[in-house]
Amino acid sequence: MPREKKVEEYDVVIIGGGAAGMTAGIYCGRARLKTLIIEMALVGGLATYTNEIENYPGFPEGSTGLGLMELFQQQTKKFDVKFKGTDVKSVELEGEVKIVETFRTTYKAKVVIIASGGRPRITNAENEEEFLFDKGISFCATCDAAANTDKDVLIIGSGDAAIEEGMFLTKFANKVYISIMHEDGKMDCNEIAKSEACENSKMEFIWNTVVKRFEGDNHLRTVVLENLRTGEEIPIDIDTCFEFIGYIPNTEIFKDQICLSERGYVLVNDKMETNIEGVFSAGDVNEKFLKQIATAVGDGAVAGYAAERYIAETAQYSSQILTRDHFVYVYDASCVNCQNRLREIEALEVETNGKISFSKVDVYKSKGLSNRMGVSVFPSIAVVRSGEIVDVLTDDFSRVRLESYL
Amino acid sequence: MAEYELDCFGEACPIPLVKAEKKLDEMVVGDILIVLIDHSCAMKNVPEWARKQGHNVEIDEVDDGEWEVVIEKMK
Repeated sequence: MPREKKVEEYDVVIIGGGAAGMTAGIYCGRARLKTLIIEMALVGGLATYTNEIENYPGFPEGSTGLGLMELFQQQTKKFDVKFKGTDVKSVELEGEVKIVETFRTTYKAKVVIIASGGRPRITNAENEEEFLFDKGISFCATCDAAANTDKDVLIIGSGDAAIEEGMFLTKFANKVYISIMHEDGKMDCNEIAKSEACENSKMEFIWNTVVKRFEGDNHLRTVVLENLRTGEEIPIDIDTCFEFIGYIPNTEIFKDQICLSERGYVLVNDKMETNIEGVFSAGDVNEKFLKQIATAVGDGAVAGYAAERYIAETAQYSSQILTRDHFVYVYDASCVNCQNRLREIEALEVETNGKISFSKVDVYKSKGLSNRMGVSVFPSIAVVRSGEIVDVLTDDFSRVRLESYL
Repeated sequence: MAEYELDCFGEACPIPLVKAEKKLDEMVVGDILIVLIDHSCAMKNVPEWARKQGHNVEIDEVDDGEWEVVIEKMK
């Protein structure tokens, strides 16, 4: 018999406690929403694997990834956001109440924010685990290039990321080796990157090779490559090995519900909205141009704010729009025609001694409420009867027409 | 399915991990072990080890610097 699960209710459940998730948490917590962040490993996410972070503004002396993320967490906790250290087993995102299941608890939430990030694909060669991240195997040239000034590095891969990041590394490193599994001259990257790379004297290509094993004491010292044709072992002494063989978004549990890109990343609009109402997504898990703490923070802020707006509008919709029989004038305060017709209906209210009266919804700042009402033309008058919108008038606001609903 | 508690307050690494390993050995699949810890290193290595073994793990910060690591034995 399965163990009985606890049920807990939240306004917002955020899946993933990295930079994006915690920023969303700060915005939600500060808006006094009951907020939970679920993190399956270390709070701080992928950023905690980077030793030095020098491109996150506000820290002129630089910071360690772990140190910076601890500060993020402190700030998030300040706003009463709860943290839960476990992984999410499944989600049901359709409908007004979203369900997030962990092994002990069923969470019910008005809003879910996906901030589950991703993980770099690895070679699975011998001893790789021992040297991951700050021990010599890096996945981010932007992060670790400066630390490799005048040193020798090795890149694994030949796609756009591998070759372009390799070119960037040549500005710092003494020597950039590139291990490519294809035959001599064949790369997966675009032609421009390829020809530039071939002309760069600091780059040395090692064809037909894959990683056999990693060696070193506390820090990576040697990468032993294997020639796929001859089986010959080629030891390369380096300071850092950069692996650019792909990145895997953590979207497995969402894939049947959320629209993903071909590569498995979440597709969002500029408000971080996914295809499902009340589900937002932020950070590295999104299909986006640049994956950095700075951009994750931006996404998280948008998602947190959008979540707050969504919850407020949902409450407004059920408590103010649908609760009584009335007319709702939906308008954009910045449009002249809307202003003119507002005066027209206000005159009508006076003329009928309040028999015909209006609630007003201004969509200038957000169209969330009007979207929910199914109104897309401004101005419009929505006619509410018995808890339902029975008609939307876009042109004829005449007394005769309105009286026909009374 | 039983639930056990392991009080490791005041104990530094690797004691909580060793104790948890031993206790989990005595338990049957589906049992729950709650390890109480207040050393941040144990907060990292106990869950890491348990996840690697394939168990379900949940970490709760019950107070500032005090954690409950909840492990469901899966095999």
